Amino acid sequence: MSKTIMIVDDSSSIRQLVKISLKGDGYEVIEACDGKDALSKMDGKKIHLIISDVNMPNMDGITFVKEAKKLPAYKFTPIIMLTTESQQSKIQEGQAAGAKAWVVKPFQPQQMLAAVSKLILP
Amino acid sequence: MSLDKEMQELLVNYTIESAELLQVMEEGLMELESIEESEETINAIFRAAHTIKGGAGIFGFEHIVGFTHVVESVLDAMRDGLLKVDSELVAALLPCCDHLGILVREIAKGHTEENSDLTKQSEKIIAGLQPFLDNAEGKQTDSSQVASQSIQVQDETHRVQNIECDNSKSGNWHLFLHFNPDCLRDGMDPLSFILYLTKLGEIIELTTSTQALPSAGEMDPESNYLIFEIVFKSDAEKADIENVFDFVRAGSQIHILPLESKIEYYIDLIDSLESDDMQLGELLIKCGVITRRELEEGLQAQQAKRERQQSQHIGDILIEQQTVQKPIVSAALEKQQRVKESKAIENQSIRVDAGRLDILIDLIGELVIAGASASLRASQTGDMALQEANAAVISLVEEVRDSALQLRMVPIGSTFSRFQRVVRDVSKELGKDIKLHISGADTEIDKSVVEKIGDPLMHLVRNAMDHGIEPAQLRIERDKPAQGNLQLNAYHSSGNIVIEVSDDGRGLDRDKILAKAVERGLIQVGETLSDQEVYSLIFEPGFSTADQISNLSGRGVGMDVVKRNITELRGDIAIDSTPGKGTTLRIYLPLTLAIIDGFLVGVGESSYVIPLDRVVECVALPPNENHDYMELRGEVLPFIRLRQLFNKKATLSKRQNVIVVEHLGVKAGLVVDKLKGELQTVIKPLGKLFGHVQGVGGSTILGSGEVALIIDVPTLLRQQEFASNTH
Repeated sequence: MSKTIMIVDDSSSIRQLVKISLKGDGYEVIEACDGKDALSKMDGKKIHLIISDVNMPNMDGITFVKEAKKLPAYKFTPIIMLTTESQQSKIQEGQAAGAKAWVVKPFQPQQMLAAVSKLILP
Repeated sequence: MSLDKEMQELLVNYTIESAELLQVMEEGLMELESIEESEETINAIFRAAHTIKGGAGIFGFEHIVGFTHVVESVLDAMRDGLLKVDSELVAALLPCCDHLGILVREIAKGHTEENSDLTKQSEKIIAGLQPFLDNAEGKQTDSSQVASQSIQVQDETHRVQNIECDNSKSGNWHLFLHFNPDCLRDGMDPLSFILYLTKLGEIIELTTSTQALPSAGEMDPESNYLIFEIVFKSDAEKADIENVFDFVRAGSQIHILPLESKIEYYIDLIDSLESDDMQLGELLIKCGVITRRELEEGLQAQQAKRERQQSQHIGDILIEQQTVQKPIVSAALEKQQRVKESKAIENQSIRVDAGRLDILIDLIGELVIAGASASLRASQTGDMALQEANAAVISLVEEVRDSALQLRMVPIGSTFSRFQRVVRDVSKELGKDIKLHISGADTEIDKSVVEKIGDPLMHLVRNAMDHGIEPAQLRIERDKPAQGNLQLNAYHSSGNIVIEVSDDGRGLDRDKILAKAVERGLIQVGETLSDQEVYSLIFEPGFSTADQISNLSGRGVGMDVVKRNITELRGDIAIDSTPGKGTTLRIYLPLTLAIIDGFLVGVGESSYVIPLDRVVECVALPPNENHDYMELRGEVLPFIRLRQLFNKKATLSKRQNVIVVEHLGVKAGLVVDKLKGELQTVIKPLGKLFGHVQGVGGSTILGSGEVALIIDVPTLLRQQEFASNTH
């Protein structure tokens, strides 16, 4: 059974990039454009990994991580946060919220795949 | 013992090298006494002694081998930390250096067998070392027990290691992974990382350790308690393996070490690295045994310790953090040491006979003259191409000149550091506590000047210690620190090298010097003299104020000899003194003795060269000036008419010029007919016949083949001053 990964980002081009590279490696991808959208789309589905941006409208990435962690189904779900290098304080805030894996933008598809395969069981 | 020619040459090298090594030993010992205990310094001293012993062994000088062996034992004990380095120990070792120096010098003189006097001397000095050796041996037995225990422990770990490696395949990395207890809650599954690892290489063996597992009651099923040890085979760099775990690094303990069986490989790798003088961390990164991140962590830890006033070597920190094993760090340290040593050897290794250098400098002098002549001829032809080609030759000649002169330059540091010992010995002799501070040791100075400046400096230093610095008791009464401060300093200043000897003692007693000078008939009663003039009276032959005589001052050189020595080097000496505060003697020396930049002037039909570093400016002589002085920007400028001085009868030119020269802050003018511009001048000494001529420092040959005299500004000024004083 293929693994399901959710990508949460308000930029459709980033979502597209992640989606194409992950699909190429055989993952199922669910897209969401912000935290709120993501929470509603999760809906108890089995999701193996979440990739989320930090700055988004409606609900930002960090609030989203906190909310997701509260849900029993997603308590142990690995989360990769996307960030720009200038957001050091955000990284600390996010790590406190439970998102330990960070990938700095801009990234190469290869980097994203490496990060994903470190966190996800085959 | 008969020595054939080859051995003889080797022996000469041995004696020269030994003298250098003894200097190293002595400097090292002085350093140990003044600065905190340093492993590096002790090692340097030990190596020096060892090399001397080794050399002596080759030639079969058993007495040197025997003597050095005892010294070496003491140094070895110091190195192992069995002996505490204190002034007592240094005091016992310094005579050993001296004695070794005597033994080596005897050999240089051809006395290859030991004579009975020296044997007695050797025995006496060795007896002085015996207590230290006994002391060290006592500790030796204690520590050897400890050592044997630790060896046992090591054996055990070795055995475990052997079992692990006893596989058909062997890995090259040992990974120790203790993931953060919260990692599962953070969505980090240790298994996924371990599986990811297989993308980089092959897991040869994986041991899961449950030693951190708590009892069932205390166990939190969401926490991670497992520790993994992995033997991993991979061609990846350490940094790549480390990167696998970058998401879980916070709160986890992750150590990646080369496998014990691969340590040899890294040691060989370190040995084979073509490295310059690299820092330890860089060396370890280069051979791939640590990553930059690990080094930075180590450096941060070191910084933190330093802030708590503790210091630890970066190598030890890396071992403590389990980043790298000790044998690798040791190998890297040894490598570093070897690089340093080979550099030191490179620094010492080119020995050129001073005579050959002198010939080279002479030839370059001739080249400069010939070049000047060629460019003069070229400019007369008006052929542009020839002139350009010639200009290129001249600029190359200048470069050759500069680098040839550089060959003769040596740092003054080695001369200065000799005085550490002198100050130490003399202050003991005088019962005073005096500290020598050295600065400007890197200042370079002509080799021939260095050789000649030692004696005058010695006299000045002894004088300052004997007469300048007061006894401790008196110093305390005068609100000064009990420890006297003597300073040797060297620096460059406008074409000169200045060497300063300063003390914080009582200063010169103006009245006493005046009284003595009157008594000796050097000056008249009631004559008004500047401080500078009064102080310079102490350079008069035989001048000494009555209570100054002690066994220290009678060492063959008086202040007049100091002055003469310095004058012979075309230098000068000035005194600056504040009563109760101290005295500073400044020796001004020319940068080089052979070639100078000069300013060419014409008087009548003749040409003269004024050393450029004395020239301040050139002005026109106001017309109808009949006095011996003129006004220059509101100040009176006395001048000397070179026409009169050298008795030139040629008709006066319409315009005359004044060259303003300066020496020791005194300005004066030299009136000349023509200004001909700057040139490089090779100083040719005047014959003995002209030795008494004042105001002329030498001669030179100009490009046209004409001979020009070089004006010695300081003596000329002094002479004129004297003449005007006696009027």
